[in-house]
Amino acid sequence: MEIRMENVSMIYPNGKEALRQVSLDMASPSLTGLLGPNGAGKSTLIKLLAGALLPTSGSIQVEGEPFPKGRKRVKENLGYLPQEFGLFDELTVTQFLDYMAALKGLRCPQASIQEAIEAVNLMDKAKTRIGALSGGQRQRVGIAQALLGSPQLMIFDEPTVGLDPEERIHFRNLFSQTAQNRLILLSTHIIEDVQAVCDQLLVMNHGRILFAGKPEQLIQKAEGHVGLFWEKEILDAEGLQITSRVNTSRGIRCRGVAEVLPPGARTEEPSLEDAYLYLISREETR
Amino acid sequence: MKGIFLCFSQVQRLLLRPGTWLTIFLTVLSPLAGLTVYQPASASTMLTKYLANPSLAGGTAGGIIFGLFTIYELDREKRNRVDVLTEGAVSPLRMSWVRLLALTGTAVVTLAAAMVIWLPITGKLTGNVFAGRDYVLAYILFMGFGMELSVLAASAAFQAAGRGEFAVVLFAVFSGLSLTIWADNWQLCWLNPSLWAMSDDFSNSRLFREIAYMRLTWLAALTGVWAVSWLCIRQYGKGLFASFFWSARKVYRPFAAILLLSAASAAYLAQPFYDNSNPDLSAAVLDHLPLAEGVTCLSRRVWVYPDTEKGAVDGRALYQLRNTSGKEQMIFFGVAPGYRIISADVNEKAVSSSFSGDEENNMALWKTVIPADEELELVLEYGGFPKEWNILTLTPGTPEISEEYLCLENQNMAPYLLNASSPEDGVRAAIEITVPDHMTVIPFGPGQAEVIKDQGDGKKTWRYEGRGFGGIVYAGDYLCQEIEAGGIQIQFYYGRKHQKVMEEAKAAEAIKAVVNYCTSHYGALSFGENGRLKLIQSRVIGGGYAGNGASLLDEGDFTAANLNNKEKGAVPGEVMIHELVHQWWGLANMFDEADAGPWSSEGLTVYTTYRIVKELYGEEYARKNYLEQWKEETKNYYLNFYVRNPEYLKALPEDKRLDIANGLSSLLHYSEMPLKILKAEQLVGGEAAMDQILSQLFNRELDPAYPFFTYENFLDACGLTEEELSLEQDISI
Repeated sequence: MEIRMENVSMIYPNGKEALRQVSLDMASPSLTGLLGPNGAGKSTLIKLLAGALLPTSGSIQVEGEPFPKGRKRVKENLGYLPQEFGLFDELTVTQFLDYMAALKGLRCPQASIQEAIEAVNLMDKAKTRIGALSGGQRQRVGIAQALLGSPQLMIFDEPTVGLDPEERIHFRNLFSQTAQNRLILLSTHIIEDVQAVCDQLLVMNHGRILFAGKPEQLIQKAEGHVGLFWEKEILDAEGLQITSRVNTSRGIRCRGVAEVLPPGARTEEPSLEDAYLYLISREETR
Repeated sequence: MKGIFLCFSQVQRLLLRPGTWLTIFLTVLSPLAGLTVYQPASASTMLTKYLANPSLAGGTAGGIIFGLFTIYELDREKRNRVDVLTEGAVSPLRMSWVRLLALTGTAVVTLAAAMVIWLPITGKLTGNVFAGRDYVLAYILFMGFGMELSVLAASAAFQAAGRGEFAVVLFAVFSGLSLTIWADNWQLCWLNPSLWAMSDDFSNSRLFREIAYMRLTWLAALTGVWAVSWLCIRQYGKGLFASFFWSARKVYRPFAAILLLSAASAAYLAQPFYDNSNPDLSAAVLDHLPLAEGVTCLSRRVWVYPDTEKGAVDGRALYQLRNTSGKEQMIFFGVAPGYRIISADVNEKAVSSSFSGDEENNMALWKTVIPADEELELVLEYGGFPKEWNILTLTPGTPEISEEYLCLENQNMAPYLLNASSPEDGVRAAIEITVPDHMTVIPFGPGQAEVIKDQGDGKKTWRYEGRGFGGIVYAGDYLCQEIEAGGIQIQFYYGRKHQKVMEEAKAAEAIKAVVNYCTSHYGALSFGENGRLKLIQSRVIGGGYAGNGASLLDEGDFTAANLNNKEKGAVPGEVMIHELVHQWWGLANMFDEADAGPWSSEGLTVYTTYRIVKELYGEEYARKNYLEQWKEETKNYYLNFYVRNPEYLKALPEDKRLDIANGLSSLLHYSEMPLKILKAEQLVGGEAAMDQILSQLFNRELDPAYPFFTYENFLDACGLTEEELSLEQDISI
């Protein structure tokens, strides 16, 4: 699966410009993380890729075929979990997946349904009505429907929201395994998830792609811009983004990112979160 | 293939919802309303009461239930945001098809369930007049289409509005129009078809055809509207208009919608069931045609070939004419609207024949020029699908022509010669009609039909003779019972389906009692060939009429329920009595129907019916069902706004004015006049005195120049004045 976006802009009917001249290439196998603050344009980008929106300008090509013609190909090969979705509460998990399998055109989907149920750890809830499931279990049903039929392109928008840490780890591993021969786009606020499994990373803000590459490349960019310091020493520091605070007997110890670290700060090895925050704060400063 | 698979899954999903089962349950239950609270069809036949009304109620209530369910289902998917998942797999346009077909499929399943559940109930209630074909067609056309059209309408409303609450408002308005403003227009009342009666003993083909036509017209129209709304489905984050223009880029889509809407409009405008008769009933172009100078019609022969499958007629009519004027003459024919004269030949030479453009009283005026020759034989080939009179759209199904029954009246049988003279003893007529061999042909009048040829293809040709330019013939699976009453021989014809009911109810004996009453009180009937009278049970028509030697009786009076109604006593319904009384008042004594006043055959007939009913069922019954109703209606007449303020009536649009004026006129004939006669009865000294007066009037010597029985005759015989019978100041009797 190969997707190419060229100079794609998206302006909603209310005039809001959600994407500005976005260009990117994605090809399988890959598990690409999509990061960005709220309103950055991540969901718009995802909806464009899922064929739920059409760009105002620019082109999207799937396997070399332009949208909207290529939209059909995407839908046939798409596993999609939107950020907000609903389920038919009156159906059991199996019935719902059976219905979704029918929509996806899967014939004899029992094996695929069983596989998806096992993948999301809902074997004991397979015959339970969806209305009786917890929030996390419903989220898992959503993930299961995206896995149905082993689609070539999977798009997950905040898939681990509402899951407990153990489940999050389970899904990280699942995504990682699934991406062996597919293209997965994983939009999330949880940088830890991205760091753990993604081989590619997209960072967006204000409708633009700020970074596209491997996570370690982003980390490299932040080297020398992450430090530890005492809060009382940086009262007037400009452009400093505090990432964590720890109370100690000597005062509050802070970790932060900045283009120029405050005097006295001890330079630290950047994490992906540091690098992301550094990138965003630099963009905001500009 | 994938589409069918998707629909199947969608239906499966719907059937897993409790809401769907509630909808199905309520819809299946809704025919019950037709047996209790919602009875739009007013006739008293068993199929009307126990099949038409339940299925109509099922269609109306089921339609509304399914419409609301459709909106709820479509809105629920959107409101709960399930659509973001489903539309991730299938495009919203395709999903819209799938949802529509699934809801339609659910409606079909519901209809099937209703038909299965109501089958034994209907069978038990209707008894021996139950007909499987009528049952299936009634449920499909009256109920099934109601639900299907509602699903389409509701779905279109939701797609156009984009929100559930707006869609409910749109659907409610659309349904409300059908139930109120459009209810009087047979083509517009999409949810609740105009239907007043279904026949028990004979067929309902014409009725089913008309309702099927209306339903299919709406199906095309609503599919077209749905197609437009389909283009409005919001997609790609666009608004209503942007989505519409985006979807309409593929030109076949708007083209298909336009095609469907055009087809529906064309079907609406070109409906083949009702004519374009002048709505002004007082217009009388056909009555005031110039008489063809010197032209006399000596005889006519007609060969009629009803096409019982198509409900149409082909025929050939031969008129033997004498033209003594020595010049060409224009002659006019009244032809059934829907028929056309295919060819006209005079003395084996073709002449032209054309439609004049006038249509009145369910008759289209055609004209032909005949040459100056003295002896002429005019042959007309004609045929077509008869149209009903446009003022009778709420009582559809009258000109029934089917495998089971046919009724051909005057111009529906053959072109009616309008402006030629006739010999003193009338125009001799010989009619040959070819009908399926299980039918008995019954001419309305003294003539007796007999089989003259077995065609060998399941049809027989019958022949009978009569007099006049018109004539009525019935044919069906009839039985005939001979009854002697009042010194005349009565042939009582009724449908074979009713044999058991008639025998159990002793209908023949009841008829005998009524005829004996009238004969003993007023005198023997003066007409009837060789002292014979035919009583013919007709397909349900909401009343009856009498002619020379024959009287028509509505099957509605012969239902098992009506004949066994103990409140009325042991004799059949009062309409039958009423129509029989017309043999005395209306035929034996003619009334000048051109006189627009309230004095007509109806007043005396209603009064006499009251007297008979009083004798048969008692004073209390007659007072409650006749006297009190007359008083109430007469009081309403005097209090009517338009009667008190006629200037407002004149200001109304013509169709509305005629509607009201005809209704008011009917009140005068059927309520005010019998009340006046009753007042006269009191003033002349009671019933015996009035009977004496009426007997004298019945047997009076007629003036051949003006043989009518007038109000003045009546007042003079009573020794009363018009003022003395006035009820405007005091209605108490």
